[in-house]
Amino acid sequence: MKMTDPSLPSILVVDDNEDNANIIRDYLEARGYPISVAYDGDEAMAMFGSVKPSIVLLDVMMPGRDGWQVCREMKASPMGRDIRVIMVTALQDWMDKRQALETGADDYVEKPFELAKLASVVERNAAQLAQKTR
Amino acid sequence: MPNYRRLFRGDGTPKVPTVSSAIDSVRQAIQDRKELLVIYFNFDRYTKIEEIYGWEKLDEILHTTSAAIREFLATSPFASSEVMVNFTNDDDFVLFHIPPANIAVPNADVITDLTAKLHQHIAHRIEEEHGEDIASLFDTFVGSAHIHYDPKIRLERQIYRAIRDAASSSNSVEQREFARKAADLRETLRTGGLYIDYHPIVVTETQEIFGFEALARGTLKSMRRPEVMFEVAEQTDMIWELSRLCRNTAISGMKEKLTRNQLLFINVDPHDFTDPMFTDMDMDVTDPTKVVLEITERTAIRDYPKFRGRLKEFRDRGYRFAVDDAGSGYAGLGSIANLEPNFIKLDISLINCIDVNFIKQSLVEKMVGFGNDQNAMVIAEGVETAEEYETVKQLGVHLVQGFYLHPPEPERPVKATPA
Repeated sequence: MKMTDPSLPSILVVDDNEDNANIIRDYLEARGYPISVAYDGDEAMAMFGSVKPSIVLLDVMMPGRDGWQVCREMKASPMGRDIRVIMVTALQDWMDKRQALETGADDYVEKPFELAKLASVVERNAAQLAQKTR
Repeated sequence: MPNYRRLFRGDGTPKVPTVSSAIDSVRQAIQDRKELLVIYFNFDRYTKIEEIYGWEKLDEILHTTSAAIREFLATSPFASSEVMVNFTNDDDFVLFHIPPANIAVPNADVITDLTAKLHQHIAHRIEEEHGEDIASLFDTFVGSAHIHYDPKIRLERQIYRAIRDAASSSNSVEQREFARKAADLRETLRTGGLYIDYHPIVVTETQEIFGFEALARGTLKSMRRPEVMFEVAEQTDMIWELSRLCRNTAISGMKEKLTRNQLLFINVDPHDFTDPMFTDMDMDVTDPTKVVLEITERTAIRDYPKFRGRLKEFRDRGYRFAVDDAGSGYAGLGSIANLEPNFIKLDISLINCIDVNFIKQSLVEKMVGFGNDQNAMVIAEGVETAEEYETVKQLGVHLVQGFYLHPPEPERPVKATPA
Protein backbone atom coordinates (compact mmCIF):
# COMPACT_ATOMS: atom_id res chain seq x y z
CA MET A 1 0.00 0.00 0.00
CA LYS A 2 1.27 3.47 -0.91
CA MET A 3 2.02 5.72 2.05
CA THR A 4 1.52 9.26 0.83
CA ASP A 5 1.76 12.40 2.89
CA PRO A 6 -1.40 14.50 2.38
CA SER A 7 0.49 17.66 3.30
CA LEU A 8 2.73 17.24 0.24
CA PRO A 9 1.58 18.52 -3.18
CA SER A 10 0.28 16.02 -5.70
CA ILE A 11 2.45 15.47 -8.76
CA LEU A 12 1.58 14.45 -12.30
CA VAL A 13 4.55 12.80 -14.03
CA VAL A 14 4.36 12.94 -17.83
CA ASP A 15 6.84 10.88 -19.86
CA ASP A 16 6.34 8.69 -22.92
CA ASN A 17 9.19 6.46 -21.75
CA GLU A 18 7.43 4.12 -19.32
CA ASP A 19 10.63 3.08 -17.56
CA ASN A 20 11.56 6.70 -16.83
CA ALA A 21 8.04 7.57 -15.69
CA ASN A 22 7.88 4.58 -13.37
CA ILE A 23 11.31 5.24 -11.86
CA ILE A 24 10.33 8.84 -11.11
CA ARG A 25 6.96 7.73 -9.73
CA ASP A 26 8.51 5.13 -7.39
CA TYR A 27 11.21 7.53 -6.20
CA LEU A 28 8.87 10.42 -5.42
CA GLU A 29 6.17 8.15 -4.00
CA ALA A 30 8.73 6.79 -1.56
CA ARG A 31 9.18 10.39 -0.39
CA GLY A 32 5.48 10.69 0.34
CA TYR A 33 4.26 12.61 -2.74
CA PRO A 34 0.90 11.55 -4.19
CA ILE A 35 1.79 10.65 -7.80
CA SER A 36 -0.15 10.13 -11.03
CA VAL A 37 1.47 9.17 -14.32
CA ALA A 38 0.56 10.00 -17.94
CA TYR A 39 2.42 8.52 -20.90
CA ASP A 40 1.70 11.13 -23.57
CA GLY A 41 0.46 14.69 -24.02
CA ASP A 42 -3.19 13.84 -24.61
CA GLU A 43 -3.36 11.61 -21.56
CA ALA A 44 -1.58 14.34 -19.56
CA MET A 45 -4.23 16.91 -20.50
CA ALA A 46 -7.04 14.50 -19.61
CA MET A 47 -5.47 13.66 -16.25
CA PHE A 48 -4.70 17.32 -15.58
CA GLY A 49 -8.45 17.97 -15.50
CA SER A 50 -9.36 14.92 -13.43
CA VAL A 51 -6.42 14.62 -11.00
CA LYS A 52 -5.85 18.41 -10.56
CA PRO A 53 -2.15 18.10 -9.64
CA SER A 54 -0.20 20.87 -7.93
CA ILE A 55 3.08 20.08 -9.70
CA VAL A 56 3.57 18.69 -13.20
CA LEU A 57 6.85 17.05 -14.17
CA LEU A 58 6.76 17.29 -17.92
CA ASP A 59 9.02 15.57 -20.42
CA VAL A 60 9.50 17.71 -23.54
CA MET A 61 10.10 15.13 -26.29
CA MET A 62 6.89 13.18 -26.70
CA PRO A 63 5.02 12.00 -29.78
CA GLY A 64 1.84 14.00 -30.55
CA ARG A 65 1.43 16.99 -28.29
CA ASP A 66 4.94 17.69 -27.01
CA GLY A 67 5.81 19.01 -23.57
CA TRP A 68 5.94 22.66 -24.70
CA GLN A 69 2.40 22.49 -26.05
CA VAL A 70 1.11 20.65 -22.99
CA CYS A 71 2.71 23.27 -20.74
CA ARG A 72 1.19 26.11 -22.75
CA GLU A 73 -2.27 24.56 -22.53
CA MET A 74 -2.02 23.81 -18.83
CA LYS A 75 -0.83 27.32 -18.03
CA ALA A 76 -3.60 28.88 -20.14
CA SER A 77 -6.26 26.93 -18.26
CA PRO A 78 -8.09 28.38 -15.24
CA MET A 79 -5.95 26.20 -12.94
CA GLY A 80 -2.77 27.42 -14.65
CA ARG A 81 -2.00 30.12 -12.10
CA ASP A 82 -1.94 27.66 -9.22
CA ILE A 83 0.31 24.94 -10.58
CA ARG A 84 4.05 24.62 -10.97
CA VAL A 85 5.30 23.10 -14.20
CA ILE A 86 8.79 21.61 -14.22
CA MET A 87 10.13 20.77 -17.67
CA VAL A 88 12.28 17.65 -17.84
CA THR A 89 14.72 18.36 -20.63
CA ALA A 90 18.19 19.53 -21.45
CA LEU A 91 17.75 23.33 -21.57
CA GLN A 92 21.33 24.01 -22.38
CA ASP A 93 21.37 27.25 -24.23
CA TRP A 94 19.76 30.63 -23.87
CA MET A 95 17.18 29.96 -26.57
CA ASP A 96 15.87 26.79 -24.90
CA LYS A 97 15.35 28.60 -21.63
CA ARG A 98 13.62 31.57 -23.29
CA GLN A 99 11.31 29.15 -25.04
CA ALA A 100 10.56 27.43 -21.74
CA LEU A 101 9.69 30.81 -20.20
CA GLU A 102 7.32 31.63 -23.01
CA THR A 103 5.38 28.43 -22.54
CA GLY A 104 4.89 29.45 -18.90
CA ALA A 105 7.18 26.86 -17.28
CA ASP A 106 8.39 27.54 -13.74
CA ASP A 107 11.44 25.33 -13.52
CA TYR A 108 13.39 22.61 -15.28
CA VAL A 109 15.47 19.52 -14.59
CA GLU A 110 18.23 18.78 -17.03
CA LYS A 111 18.28 15.38 -18.64
CA PRO A 112 19.94 13.05 -17.82
CA PHE A 113 19.30 13.81 -14.16
CA GLU A 114 20.16 12.27 -10.85
CA LEU A 115 17.12 11.42 -8.77
CA ALA A 116 18.46 13.44 -5.85
CA LYS A 117 18.61 16.52 -8.09
CA LEU A 118 15.06 15.85 -9.24
CA ALA A 119 13.92 15.64 -5.62
CA SER A 120 15.55 18.96 -4.77
CA VAL A 121 13.88 20.67 -7.74
CA VAL A 122 10.51 19.23 -6.71
CA GLU A 123 11.10 20.36 -3.12
CA ARG A 124 11.86 23.97 -4.09
CA ASN A 125 8.67 24.14 -6.14
CA ALA A 126 6.67 22.53 -3.33
CA ALA A 127 8.11 25.22 -1.04
CA GLN A 128 6.90 27.92 -3.45
CA LEU A 129 3.40 26.43 -3.44
CA ALA A 130 3.38 26.25 0.37
CA GLN A 131 4.46 29.89 0.57
CA LYS A 132 1.71 30.95 -1.81
CA THR A 133 -1.04 29.23 0.15
CA ARG A 134 0.24 30.46 3.51
CA MET B 1 -28.19 39.97 -13.89
CA PRO B 2 -26.51 40.70 -17.20
CA ASN B 3 -26.32 37.69 -19.45
CA TYR B 4 -23.06 38.37 -21.26
CA ARG B 5 -21.78 35.45 -19.20
CA ARG B 6 -19.56 34.28 -22.01
CA LEU B 7 -17.70 37.58 -22.05
CA PHE B 8 -14.47 36.12 -20.78
CA ARG B 9 -13.59 32.92 -19.10
CA GLY B 10 -13.59 32.88 -15.32
CA ASP B 11 -9.84 33.31 -15.07
CA GLY B 12 -9.90 36.41 -17.19
CA THR B 13 -8.07 34.82 -20.06
CA PRO B 14 -9.83 36.18 -23.09
CA LYS B 15 -9.95 32.89 -24.97
CA VAL B 16 -13.62 33.26 -25.71
CA PRO B 17 -15.86 31.55 -28.25
CA THR B 18 -15.13 31.86 -31.94
CA VAL B 19 -17.43 34.04 -34.01
CA SER B 20 -19.14 31.05 -35.65
CA SER B 21 -19.96 29.29 -32.38
CA ALA B 22 -21.16 32.60 -30.95
CA ILE B 23 -23.47 33.13 -33.92
CA ASP B 24 -25.05 29.74 -33.29
CA SER B 25 -25.75 30.65 -29.71
CA VAL B 26 -27.51 33.92 -30.57
CA ARG B 27 -29.14 32.92 -33.89
CA GLN B 28 -32.65 32.50 -32.54
CA ALA B 29 -32.53 35.71 -30.49
CA ILE B 30 -31.47 37.75 -33.55
CA GLN B 31 -34.14 36.17 -35.72
CA ASP B 32 -36.75 37.03 -33.08
CA ARG B 33 -35.58 40.58 -32.36
CA LYS B 34 -34.58 41.29 -35.98
CA GLU B 35 -31.93 43.78 -34.94
CA LEU B 36 -28.35 43.47 -33.82
CA LEU B 37 -25.69 45.93 -32.81
CA VAL B 38 -22.12 44.73 -33.39
CA ILE B 39 -19.51 46.57 -31.37
CA TYR B 40 -15.84 46.09 -32.21
CA PHE B 41 -13.21 46.86 -29.55
CA ASN B 42 -9.54 47.12 -30.33
CA PHE B 43 -7.19 47.43 -27.37
CA ASP B 44 -4.12 49.00 -28.86
CA ARG B 45 -0.63 48.22 -27.55
CA TYR B 46 -1.54 45.27 -25.35
CA THR B 47 1.13 43.39 -27.27
CA LYS B 48 3.56 46.17 -26.36
CA ILE B 49 2.87 45.48 -22.69
CA GLU B 50 3.80 41.83 -23.23
CA GLU B 51 6.93 42.85 -25.12
CA ILE B 52 8.08 45.15 -22.32
CA TYR B 53 6.91 43.43 -19.16
CA GLY B 54 6.40 39.79 -20.20
CA TRP B 55 3.34 37.60 -20.48
CA GLU B 56 2.70 37.32 -16.73
CA LYS B 57 2.10 41.07 -16.57
CA LEU B 58 -0.09 41.02 -19.67
CA ASP B 59 -2.18 38.21 -18.14
CA GLU B 60 -2.71 40.33 -15.02
CA ILE B 61 -3.70 43.31 -17.15
CA LEU B 62 -6.12 41.26 -19.26
CA HIS B 63 -7.65 40.01 -16.02
CA THR B 64 -8.12 43.60 -14.82
CA THR B 65 -9.47 44.58 -18.24
CA SER B 66 -12.06 41.82 -18.36
CA ALA B 67 -13.23 42.62 -14.81
CA ALA B 68 -13.45 46.33 -15.71
CA ILE B 69 -15.47 45.59 -18.86
CA ARG B 70 -17.89 43.35 -16.94
CA GLU B 71 -18.28 46.00 -14.26
CA PHE B 72 -18.89 48.74 -16.79
CA LEU B 73 -21.30 46.84 -19.01
CA ALA B 74 -23.42 45.70 -16.07
CA THR B 75 -24.66 49.25 -15.55
CA SER B 76 -24.76 50.31 -19.21
CA PRO B 77 -27.44 49.98 -21.87
CA PHE B 78 -25.41 46.99 -23.11
CA ALA B 79 -26.23 44.98 -19.98
CA SER B 80 -28.35 42.66 -22.09
CA SER B 81 -25.57 41.93 -24.58
CA GLU B 82 -25.54 38.29 -25.44
CA VAL B 83 -21.97 37.35 -26.10
CA MET B 84 -18.49 38.69 -26.58
CA VAL B 85 -15.96 36.91 -28.73
CA ASN B 86 -12.35 37.60 -29.49
CA PHE B 87 -11.91 38.12 -33.15
CA THR B 88 -8.49 37.96 -34.77
CA ASN B 89 -6.15 38.41 -31.83
CA ASP B 90 -6.21 38.63 -28.08
CA ASP B 91 -6.55 42.38 -28.36
CA ASP B 92 -9.67 42.77 -30.41
CA PHE B 93 -13.12 41.75 -29.34
CA VAL B 94 -16.60 41.80 -30.76
CA LEU B 95 -19.71 42.31 -28.65
CA PHE B 96 -23.08 41.21 -30.00
CA HIS B 97 -25.78 43.37 -28.48
CA ILE B 98 -29.35 42.32 -29.05
CA PRO B 99 -31.53 45.04 -27.57
CA PRO B 100 -34.31 43.82 -25.28
CA ALA B 101 -37.79 43.92 -26.82
CA ASN B 102 -39.31 47.41 -27.01
CA ILE B 103 -35.99 49.10 -26.26
CA ALA B 104 -34.30 50.96 -29.08
CA VAL B 105 -30.75 50.21 -30.18
CA PRO B 106 -28.45 52.90 -28.73
CA ASN B 107 -27.65 55.53 -31.36
CA ALA B 108 -24.16 56.51 -32.55
CA ASP B 109 -23.81 59.37 -30.05
CA VAL B 110 -24.71 57.11 -27.15
CA ILE B 111 -22.19 54.53 -28.35
CA THR B 112 -19.42 57.13 -28.74
CA ASP B 113 -20.13 58.47 -25.28
CA LEU B 114 -20.23 55.01 -23.74
CA THR B 115 -17.04 53.85 -25.38
CA ALA B 116 -15.18 56.96 -24.18
CA LYS B 117 -16.42 56.21 -20.67
CA LEU B 118 -15.51 52.54 -21.03
CA HIS B 119 -11.97 53.48 -22.03
CA GLN B 120 -11.72 55.81 -19.01
CA HIS B 121 -13.08 53.10 -16.74
CA ILE B 122 -10.60 50.48 -17.96
CA ALA B 123 -7.71 52.97 -17.79
CA HIS B 124 -8.75 53.94 -14.25
CA ARG B 125 -8.87 50.31 -13.09
CA ILE B 126 -5.53 49.52 -14.74
CA GLU B 127 -3.98 52.60 -13.16
CA GLU B 128 -5.30 51.59 -9.72
CA GLU B 129 -3.92 48.07 -9.99
CA HIS B 130 -0.84 48.44 -12.19
CA GLY B 131 0.20 52.10 -12.09
CA GLU B 132 -0.06 55.13 -14.33
CA ASP B 133 2.81 54.07 -16.59
CA ILE B 134 0.99 51.01 -17.86
CA ALA B 135 -2.41 52.71 -17.95
CA SER B 136 -1.15 55.47 -20.20
CA LEU B 137 0.42 52.99 -22.61
CA PHE B 138 -2.70 51.59 -24.22
CA ASP B 139 -5.66 52.96 -26.15
CA THR B 140 -9.11 51.56 -26.82
CA PHE B 141 -10.67 52.06 -30.24
CA VAL B 142 -14.28 51.18 -30.76
CA GLY B 143 -16.49 50.97 -33.82
CA SER B 144 -20.02 49.74 -34.27
CA ALA B 145 -22.41 48.57 -36.94
CA HIS B 146 -26.16 48.19 -36.69
CA ILE B 147 -27.92 45.51 -38.72
CA HIS B 148 -31.55 44.76 -39.41
CA TYR B 149 -31.93 41.05 -39.89
CA ASP B 150 -32.81 40.12 -43.46
CA PRO B 151 -34.07 36.51 -43.71
CA LYS B 152 -33.08 36.36 -47.40
CA ILE B 153 -29.41 36.73 -46.57
CA ARG B 154 -27.50 34.15 -44.59
CA LEU B 155 -27.13 35.40 -41.00
CA GLU B 156 -23.41 34.59 -40.88
CA ARG B 157 -22.79 36.82 -43.90
CA GLN B 158 -24.74 39.70 -42.37
CA ILE B 159 -22.79 39.40 -39.14
CA TYR B 160 -19.36 39.14 -40.76
CA ARG B 161 -20.16 42.20 -42.88
CA ALA B 162 -21.23 44.07 -39.77
CA ILE B 163 -18.01 43.09 -37.97
CA ARG B 164 -16.00 44.33 -40.95
CA ASP B 165 -17.91 47.64 -40.93
CA ALA B 166 -17.50 48.01 -37.17
CA ALA B 167 -13.75 47.27 -37.42
CA SER B 168 -13.42 49.78 -40.22
CA SER B 169 -15.23 52.47 -38.23
CA SER B 170 -12.91 51.70 -35.30
CA ASN B 171 -9.96 52.18 -37.70
CA SER B 172 -11.28 55.63 -38.61
CA VAL B 173 -11.40 56.51 -34.93
CA GLU B 174 -7.83 55.21 -34.59
CA GLN B 175 -6.69 57.31 -37.56
CA ARG B 176 -8.32 60.43 -36.12
CA GLU B 177 -6.65 59.74 -32.78
CA PHE B 178 -3.32 59.22 -34.50
CA ALA B 179 -3.64 62.54 -36.36
CA ARG B 180 -4.32 64.22 -33.02
CA LYS B 181 -1.23 62.60 -31.49
CA ALA B 182 0.92 63.61 -34.47
CA ALA B 183 -0.23 67.21 -33.91
CA ASP B 184 0.63 66.86 -30.21
CA LEU B 185 4.09 65.62 -31.12
CA ARG B 186 4.70 68.57 -33.45
CA GLU B 187 3.57 70.88 -30.63
CA THR B 188 5.99 69.10 -28.26
CA LEU B 189 8.90 69.53 -30.69
CA ARG B 190 8.03 73.17 -31.37
CA THR B 191 7.74 74.18 -27.71
CA GLY B 192 10.28 71.75 -26.23
CA GLY B 193 7.41 70.37 -24.16
CA LEU B 194 9.33 67.65 -22.36
CA TYR B 195 10.46 66.97 -18.87
CA ILE B 196 12.80 64.29 -17.63
CA ASP B 197 12.09 61.66 -15.00
CA TYR B 198 15.44 60.65 -13.56
CA HIS B 199 15.14 57.04 -12.38
CA PRO B 200 17.79 56.12 -9.82
CA ILE B 201 20.06 53.14 -10.46
CA VAL B 202 21.50 51.85 -7.20
CA VAL B 203 24.32 49.56 -6.13
CA THR B 204 22.61 46.30 -5.15
CA GLU B 205 24.69 45.63 -2.06
CA THR B 206 24.82 49.12 -0.54
CA GLN B 207 21.74 50.74 -2.12
CA GLU B 208 23.84 53.83 -2.87
CA ILE B 209 22.79 55.80 -5.93
CA PHE B 210 25.11 54.90 -8.80
CA GLY B 211 23.42 56.97 -11.48
CA PHE B 212 20.14 57.94 -13.10
CA GLU B 213 18.33 56.83 -16.20
CA ALA B 214 16.81 59.81 -18.00
CA LEU B 215 13.27 59.07 -19.17
CA ALA B 216 11.73 61.78 -21.31
CA ARG B 217 8.03 62.47 -20.93
CA GLY B 218 5.90 64.89 -22.86
CA THR B 219 4.04 67.55 -20.92
CA LEU B 220 0.97 66.93 -23.06
CA LYS B 221 -1.10 64.09 -21.67
CA SER B 222 -1.03 62.04 -24.86
CA MET B 223 2.77 62.31 -24.95
CA ARG B 224 3.30 61.23 -21.34
CA ARG B 225 4.51 57.76 -22.20
CA PRO B 226 7.88 57.73 -24.07
CA GLU B 227 6.93 54.55 -25.98
CA VAL B 228 3.85 56.32 -27.39
CA MET B 229 5.81 59.47 -28.21
CA PHE B 230 8.47 57.49 -30.08
CA GLU B 231 5.92 55.32 -31.86
CA VAL B 232 4.21 58.44 -33.22
CA ALA B 233 7.59 59.96 -34.11
CA GLU B 234 8.59 56.83 -36.00
CA GLN B 235 5.40 56.78 -38.05
CA THR B 236 5.61 60.50 -38.85
CA ASP B 237 9.33 60.49 -39.59
CA MET B 238 10.18 62.81 -36.71
CA ILE B 239 12.34 60.36 -34.79
CA TRP B 240 15.64 62.24 -35.10
CA GLU B 241 14.03 65.52 -33.99
CA LEU B 242 12.43 63.85 -30.98
CA SER B 243 15.61 61.99 -30.04
CA ARG B 244 17.64 65.22 -30.21
CA LEU B 245 15.15 67.02 -27.98
CA CYS B 246 15.10 64.17 -25.46
CA ARG B 247 18.90 63.89 -25.35
CA ASN B 248 19.46 67.63 -25.02
CA THR B 249 16.80 68.02 -22.32
CA ALA B 250 18.28 65.11 -20.33
CA ILE B 251 21.83 66.44 -20.66
CA SER B 252 20.93 70.00 -19.72
CA GLY B 253 19.36 68.69 -16.49
CA MET B 254 22.30 66.50 -15.50
CA LYS B 255 24.35 69.33 -13.99
CA GLU B 256 21.74 69.83 -11.26
CA LYS B 257 20.92 66.16 -10.84
CA LEU B 258 24.25 64.38 -10.63
CA THR B 259 26.65 64.48 -7.76
CA ARG B 260 30.28 63.44 -8.12
CA ASN B 261 30.81 59.93 -9.53
CA GLN B 262 27.19 59.47 -10.52
CA LEU B 263 26.40 58.60 -14.12
CA LEU B 264 23.63 59.63 -16.50
CA PHE B 265 22.07 56.86 -18.60
CA ILE B 266 20.43 58.07 -21.81
CA ASN B 267 18.35 55.91 -24.14
CA VAL B 268 19.59 55.90 -27.70
CA ASP B 269 18.02 54.00 -30.56
CA PRO B 270 20.44 52.32 -33.01
CA HIS B 271 18.79 54.43 -35.76
CA ASP B 272 19.95 57.59 -33.96
CA PHE B 273 23.49 56.72 -34.99
CA THR B 274 22.55 57.43 -38.60
CA ASP B 275 21.51 61.00 -37.63
CA PRO B 276 24.28 63.33 -38.83
CA MET B 277 23.49 65.59 -35.88
CA PHE B 278 24.13 62.88 -33.33
CA THR B 279 27.77 63.49 -32.54
CA ASP B 280 29.75 64.36 -29.48
CA MET B 281 30.04 67.90 -30.90
CA ASP B 282 26.28 68.31 -30.99
CA MET B 283 25.80 67.33 -27.38
CA ASP B 284 26.58 69.80 -24.64
CA VAL B 285 28.39 67.29 -22.46
CA THR B 286 31.33 68.59 -20.48
CA ASP B 287 32.42 65.20 -19.16
CA PRO B 288 31.53 62.30 -21.50
CA THR B 289 32.80 59.75 -18.96
CA LYS B 290 29.68 60.50 -16.92
CA VAL B 291 27.34 59.59 -19.75
CA VAL B 292 26.19 56.06 -20.58
CA LEU B 293 24.38 55.57 -23.88
CA GLU B 294 21.77 52.81 -23.57
CA ILE B 295 21.15 50.90 -26.77
CA THR B 296 18.16 48.62 -26.96
CA GLU B 297 18.70 45.05 -28.09
CA ARG B 298 15.22 45.06 -29.63
CA THR B 299 15.99 47.14 -32.68
CA ALA B 300 17.73 45.31 -35.48
CA ILE B 301 21.02 46.89 -36.48
CA ARG B 302 21.29 46.96 -40.26
CA ASP B 303 24.89 47.90 -40.99
CA TYR B 304 26.92 46.38 -38.20
CA PRO B 305 30.45 47.49 -39.19
CA LYS B 306 29.29 51.10 -39.65
CA PHE B 307 27.39 50.97 -36.37
CA ARG B 308 30.44 49.69 -34.52
CA GLY B 309 32.47 52.48 -36.12
CA ARG B 310 30.05 55.07 -34.71
CA LEU B 311 30.17 53.45 -31.28
CA LYS B 312 33.97 53.65 -31.36
CA GLU B 313 33.87 57.40 -32.05
CA PHE B 314 31.82 57.90 -28.90
CA ARG B 315 33.82 55.38 -26.90
CA ASP B 316 37.07 57.16 -27.82
CA ARG B 317 35.64 60.38 -26.41
CA GLY B 318 34.93 58.63 -23.10
CA TYR B 319 31.25 57.71 -23.40
CA ARG B 320 30.20 54.34 -22.04
CA PHE B 321 27.56 51.95 -23.37
CA ALA B 322 24.78 49.84 -21.96
CA VAL B 323 22.80 47.17 -23.77
CA ASP B 324 19.16 47.70 -22.85
CA ASP B 325 16.52 44.94 -22.72
CA ALA B 326 19.27 42.31 -22.74
CA GLY B 327 17.93 38.79 -22.99
CA SER B 328 14.63 39.88 -24.50
CA GLY B 329 15.16 37.86 -27.64
CA TYR B 330 16.52 34.50 -28.62
CA ALA B 331 19.82 35.92 -29.80
CA GLY B 332 21.63 34.88 -26.65
CA LEU B 333 24.83 36.38 -25.39
CA GLY B 334 26.78 36.65 -28.66
CA SER B 335 24.93 39.73 -29.91
CA ILE B 336 25.51 41.45 -26.57
CA ALA B 337 29.24 40.66 -26.64
CA ASN B 338 29.45 42.27 -30.10
CA LEU B 339 28.57 45.67 -28.64
CA GLU B 340 31.26 45.40 -25.92
CA PRO B 341 28.99 47.07 -23.36
CA ASN B 342 30.11 48.48 -20.02
CA PHE B 343 26.65 47.74 -18.63
CA ILE B 344 24.08 45.04 -19.40
CA LYS B 345 20.53 45.97 -18.52
CA LEU B 346 18.36 42.89 -18.16
CA ASP B 347 15.02 42.78 -19.88
CA ILE B 348 12.20 43.60 -17.42
CA SER B 349 10.37 40.38 -18.27
CA LEU B 350 13.28 38.42 -16.72
CA ILE B 351 12.94 40.31 -13.43
CA ASN B 352 9.16 40.28 -13.06
CA CYS B 353 8.38 37.44 -10.54
CA ILE B 354 11.99 36.19 -10.70
CA ASP B 355 11.70 35.09 -7.07
CA VAL B 356 9.25 32.34 -8.00
CA ASN B 357 10.60 31.36 -11.42
CA PHE B 358 13.73 29.24 -11.38
CA ILE B 359 14.24 29.43 -15.15
CA LYS B 360 14.52 33.23 -14.94
CA GLN B 361 16.97 32.80 -12.06
CA SER B 362 19.09 30.49 -14.18
CA LEU B 363 19.11 32.97 -17.10
CA VAL B 364 20.03 35.91 -14.89
CA GLU B 365 22.75 33.91 -13.16
CA LYS B 366 24.19 33.11 -16.56
CA MET B 367 24.08 36.77 -17.60
CA VAL B 368 25.87 37.82 -14.39
CA GLY B 369 28.62 35.26 -15.11
CA PHE B 370 28.88 36.61 -18.64
CA GLY B 371 28.99 40.21 -17.37
CA ASN B 372 31.77 39.34 -14.94
CA ASP B 373 33.76 37.68 -17.74
CA GLN B 374 33.28 40.69 -20.02
CA ASN B 375 33.96 43.23 -17.27
CA ALA B 376 30.44 44.63 -17.63
CA MET B 377 28.09 45.46 -14.77
CA VAL B 378 24.65 43.86 -14.87
CA ILE B 379 21.59 45.97 -14.05
CA ALA B 380 18.19 44.57 -13.05
CA GLU B 381 15.45 46.93 -14.13
CA GLY B 382 11.86 46.84 -12.87
CA VAL B 383 12.58 45.52 -9.37
CA GLU B 384 9.26 46.10 -7.62
CA THR B 385 9.20 43.81 -4.59
CA ALA B 386 11.44 42.87 -1.67
CA GLU B 387 11.46 39.27 -2.94
CA GLU B 388 12.64 40.29 -6.41
CA TYR B 389 15.33 42.51 -4.85
CA GLU B 390 16.61 39.74 -2.55
CA THR B 391 16.69 37.26 -5.44
CA VAL B 392 18.69 39.46 -7.81
CA LYS B 393 21.02 40.34 -4.94
CA GLN B 394 21.67 36.65 -4.27
CA LEU B 395 22.30 36.07 -7.96
CA GLY B 396 25.06 38.68 -7.90
CA VAL B 397 23.38 41.37 -10.02
CA HIS B 398 25.52 44.49 -9.58
CA LEU B 399 22.97 47.30 -9.91
CA VAL B 400 19.20 47.57 -9.55
CA GLN B 401 16.54 49.96 -10.65
CA GLY B 402 12.85 49.94 -9.80
CA PHE B 403 10.00 51.09 -7.64
CA TYR B 404 10.96 48.84 -4.72
CA LEU B 405 13.92 51.03 -3.79
CA HIS B 406 12.69 54.27 -5.31
CA PRO B 407 8.94 54.72 -5.68
CA PRO B 408 7.91 56.95 -8.56
CA GLU B 409 7.90 60.66 -7.83
CA PRO B 410 4.47 62.33 -7.75
CA GLU B 411 3.18 62.99 -11.23
CA ARG B 412 3.69 66.44 -12.62
CA PRO B 413 0.61 68.25 -13.81
CA VAL B 414 -0.06 67.61 -17.46
CA LYS B 415 -1.32 69.99 -20.08
CA ALA B 416 -4.47 69.10 -21.88
CA THR B 417 -4.18 68.58 -25.60
CA PRO B 418 -4.48 71.91 -27.41
CA ALA B 419 -7.81 72.32 -29.16
